[in-house]
Amino acid sequence: MARVTPTTDAVISSFRLDNGLEVVMSPERSSPTVGVGVFYRVGFRLEPEGRTGFAHLFEHLMFQGTPRVPKPHFGNLINSAGGLLNGFTRHDYTAYFEILPTSALEMALFLEADRMGMLDINAGTLRNQLQVVEEEVRVNVLNQPYGGFSWLWLAQHAFSRYPNNHNFYGEFSDLEAASVDDAVEFYRSWYGPGNASLVLVGDFDPAAAVQLVEHHFGPVAPRPEPPQRDLEEPLPASRREHRHLDPLAPTAQVAVGYPTAPFGSEDHLPLALAARILTDGRASWLQRALVREQELLLHVAGGPLYPIGDSFEFRGPALFTIEATPREGVPTENAVLALDRELDRLAAHGPTEEELHRARRRELARHHATTDSRLGRLTTLGVMAAVHRQPELVDLLPQRFAEVTPAQVAEAVGRWLRPERSTVLHWLPGAGGDRR
Amino acid sequence: MTGSVPSEEVPQPGAVPNLHLGRVHRSELANGPEVVVVPRPTVPRVELRVSVPAGTAAGDSAAAAELLRMGIPLGTRELDQEQLAERLQDLGGALQVHQDLDRLTIAAAALSEAESELYHLVASLVREPDFPRDDLAIEKAKLVEGLRSARATPHFPAHEALGELVYGRHPYGRREATEGEVARTGRRALLELHRRTFTPSLAQITVVGDVDPRSTMRRLRSAFSGWEGPRKGWKAPRVRAMTHQDLLYLERPGSVQTVVVAASSGPTMGEPGHIAFSLATAVLGGGFTSRMMANLREDKGYTYSPHARVEAHDRDGLASASMEVRTEVTAAALAELRHELARLATAPVPEEELATTRSYLEGARLVTLQTQAGLASALAQVRGLGLDHRYLERYQTELERCSAEDVMAAARRYLAPTRMTTVLVGDESALPGLEALAPVRRRRPRGG
Repeated sequence: MARVTPTTDAVISSFRLDNGLEVVMSPERSSPTVGVGVFYRVGFRLEPEGRTGFAHLFEHLMFQGTPRVPKPHFGNLINSAGGLLNGFTRHDYTAYFEILPTSALEMALFLEADRMGMLDINAGTLRNQLQVVEEEVRVNVLNQPYGGFSWLWLAQHAFSRYPNNHNFYGEFSDLEAASVDDAVEFYRSWYGPGNASLVLVGDFDPAAAVQLVEHHFGPVAPRPEPPQRDLEEPLPASRREHRHLDPLAPTAQVAVGYPTAPFGSEDHLPLALAARILTDGRASWLQRALVREQELLLHVAGGPLYPIGDSFEFRGPALFTIEATPREGVPTENAVLALDRELDRLAAHGPTEEELHRARRRELARHHATTDSRLGRLTTLGVMAAVHRQPELVDLLPQRFAEVTPAQVAEAVGRWLRPERSTVLHWLPGAGGDRR
Repeated sequence: MTGSVPSEEVPQPGAVPNLHLGRVHRSELANGPEVVVVPRPTVPRVELRVSVPAGTAAGDSAAAAELLRMGIPLGTRELDQEQLAERLQDLGGALQVHQDLDRLTIAAAALSEAESELYHLVASLVREPDFPRDDLAIEKAKLVEGLRSARATPHFPAHEALGELVYGRHPYGRREATEGEVARTGRRALLELHRRTFTPSLAQITVVGDVDPRSTMRRLRSAFSGWEGPRKGWKAPRVRAMTHQDLLYLERPGSVQTVVVAASSGPTMGEPGHIAFSLATAVLGGGFTSRMMANLREDKGYTYSPHARVEAHDRDGLASASMEVRTEVTAAALAELRHELARLATAPVPEEELATTRSYLEGARLVTLQTQAGLASALAQVRGLGLDHRYLERYQTELERCSAEDVMAAARRYLAPTRMTTVLVGDESALPGLEALAPVRRRRPRGG
């Protein structure tokens, strides 16, 4: 059996400006491009009550111009420098990034500092982006079979408190009620330098970059520290089941969600490996048993925060989700029972040492592939910095995974992936479900 | 809002740097495959691509092509799918099989310490995939379920209809499998299809990663030496693309949006005029600052992600402009799209806008080709189209040579409203106003 090879990654360094901005740098100079990312510690969970979907709507407003760089110049400037840009909103952070030629590094820093310091929030752009976001919801959720499936709907049934169980894309009535004042308040509360991590990766000289960062971000005024929010959830005592009818779905699917082990707890990394062992590839437990041997399912996939995140992208309560497509004629109830049996078996017997070894090798390979991409490197560093304040952990993970034992995986599965803790979402063909 | 300019304080970037691939090693194996190896030791991995001509262009049914693709990870007589998956995971590996209109590509990767094992594993799949009956039956059930789900989306019927309209009876027009074809395709047919398709004399191998080209060549020779097959080659027939001026409207009752796709056939990568054609398409709908984005999204708020792109096939490049718009603004949105197409064809693109679009395309390419995986896939693609790595390096110069006049000429020839074939999929309440733009032909989407 081959040994886990040590990684040869670029060095990660970090420092903090006086206004509270955390800066993380990881140079890698083999090709003349840089990645710049700003990760704000605000996501779906912190949007105000009555304003579901607001964190994501606000993300759109960050591209709508500032007093110094009015709409539509932000995108034009980045594109004309040969750069790519985008943003995305998740449970506990919102990310903005540019990948561009090295010579445009300072421009990107200027633009990110500019929109951190002062945004032009007005009724015209708010109205425009409200319409754009509603079209985004229509294309991704309302006009598709299985639209939003487990990522959007399962948590609404699995959790009991607003931060965790509301519609993260937003009810249209809430989106339409959003005002300029709401946006100003949200920006003031959550978009200050002390609530953000700036990440630089790629082809730059670290000493020169420190100067540029200080020059552009140093003058951004600090804002009051955001209040701590209680996100905690009671663990459920019995299985919850929900049926959702989808007039566009040709066949049934089912998702099962289990509250998963918190980041940094003893079960956290064992469950991350359990996700690989259970669902990743044709040699995984569930594919082997339920797709090939018992022929109950066509597809099965899952893991912590699946399908829009991974084991590291959350700070509060999160679901370990398993999605399955039963074969024609197999009721979703039978699929869930079969899943329960397999999880019991894994908890009772644990994976073999070889299975665990393969899961670690997959993690190592994924680590290298992610490191090779500017956006991949930027995102893993940004998430670990903004959400957990431990960017250096990114390069330590392969070693941490190497220390997990089969018994730890079995125990973690036995503690967390239990039927009585789970919420089941039966997604069935038919009219009249809770589509909104 | 408009007319405003950004502050003079914005730091000015330099030009987009030229792409240099470094040393590119070209060779071939004695049994035929052409090999390109590019060392890129950014991380200790290796990316492998093995491509052969395949698919509907070769006269195969779309179902057979798709099942051949899905059947390769089922393993060989010696190594069933689970053993294969275990071996790959041991190597820190991954395996995907892609099929486009012209080619099948095995895309595999591993930790570089397992380079030899990766080649031997992929070579065994290339030489002797087994398509076991029971496993194949499961893949067929997956394909049928996938087709039904795809048909339930608005995009699938739009692209299916466009293919038929633009390409007629040409193989490029038959891109979607039917359930009947899936049912009729069995193990024996796939073994025969595999034998015809996997011909070493037509194969191309691409390796990018933390490798030493000499030992890579030695390892490839050792792994792929037993691969034999017929020497017969083929290529899709010439495309005689058709243009339909009327609008095809496909009914999707209750749809809360209308999917609008307009397409036109033009020169493919490496053919004269391709660069101008793709630059014009990018001005229309590439990136954050395109005209579709500025008008239909950032000004009108009709749609989330309007875009246009050129898909390069062996025999043509297909430009398509697409958007999903809420039902009540369907006609207004299509009118704006046609306005943008007409403007592109009749007025030169201002130099500043053209420069932004060029830089966007160049930068996007620089970023894509920065990773081992991105470079391997791009090399496999251009090689498949009969070009070589120099095309990737030359691209930027060619873009810069392309003038506003060239772009307007390409737009007039390929992207004028009268050259585009348009399909809409949505609820019938989208219809009012469409007749004023062009005659509307209405029908139901095809069944499976």
